[in-house]
Amino acid sequence: MRARRARALPTPTPSCHQVATVLQAYLDGELGPKDAELVAEHLEHCERCEVEATIVGRVIEVIRDQRPDLGAEPFERLAGFVDQLTRDGCPREP
Amino acid sequence: MYRVARRLTRNGPDAEDLVQDALVRAYRAFGRFDGRYPRAWLLTILRNTHINQLRKRRPDLLEDELAQRLPARGEDGRLDGTADQAFRGDLDPIVRDALASLSGNHRAVIALIDLDGLTYQETADFLGVPVGTVMSRLHRARKKVRTRLEANGITEVHR
Repeated sequence: MRARRARALPTPTPSCHQVATVLQAYLDGELGPKDAELVAEHLEHCERCEVEATIVGRVIEVIRDQRPDLGAEPFERLAGFVDQLTRDGCPREP
Repeated sequence: MYRVARRLTRNGPDAEDLVQDALVRAYRAFGRFDGRYPRAWLLTILRNTHINQLRKRRPDLLEDELAQRLPARGEDGRLDGTADQAFRGDLDPIVRDALASLSGNHRAVIALIDLDGLTYQETADFLGVPVGTVMSRLHRARKKVRTRLEANGITEVHR
């Protein structure tokens, strides 16, 4: 279950096509720090890629805005269950 | 864990039961846990616990069928989270329609990554597919949503 990074970018200056192949991973925070820095630098100087990144980022944002609010109560009850489990051991057979 | 459990069971009480069962299993198996990637470890236990629960209720289902039902379809065959009644009231109609129009595979990656906050690797482990498959499904799914949103002017950047 080792975390795997998206593909590495060539240094020092990736092309627009190369940035496009990792843009999604960059916006999702799944790129390694060096590649993320290269993408960020490219976006600063490339208006076309920057516009694309803004649009894709907006799509992600709109989708994530739909995250359902499940309320705090279930999480509090489950936190209590974890406390009980670690304090008293298993309450029953799973 | 609760968010993913909620998506699998599609109701609060069952989701809490599922998480509790998975936590008990994790507690018992803790001695065998190597300490790396605890979220992925817990999600795998959650998924397996859910499969066991389904198998107990529906012993006629084969393993492959059970795997295919996760998480795109629940035990009664209805579509998962994004089209689920429990979430329906929270979704903006245009986005909801866009998400509902996706295939089960595409909706699953959007739900796990964008709504439940899993990483690519966690999603891949959870669904039992390669990371590259997760990334391509996510890309296609978002592209379809983007097309819908652009038709409604939602993703305009020159505002």
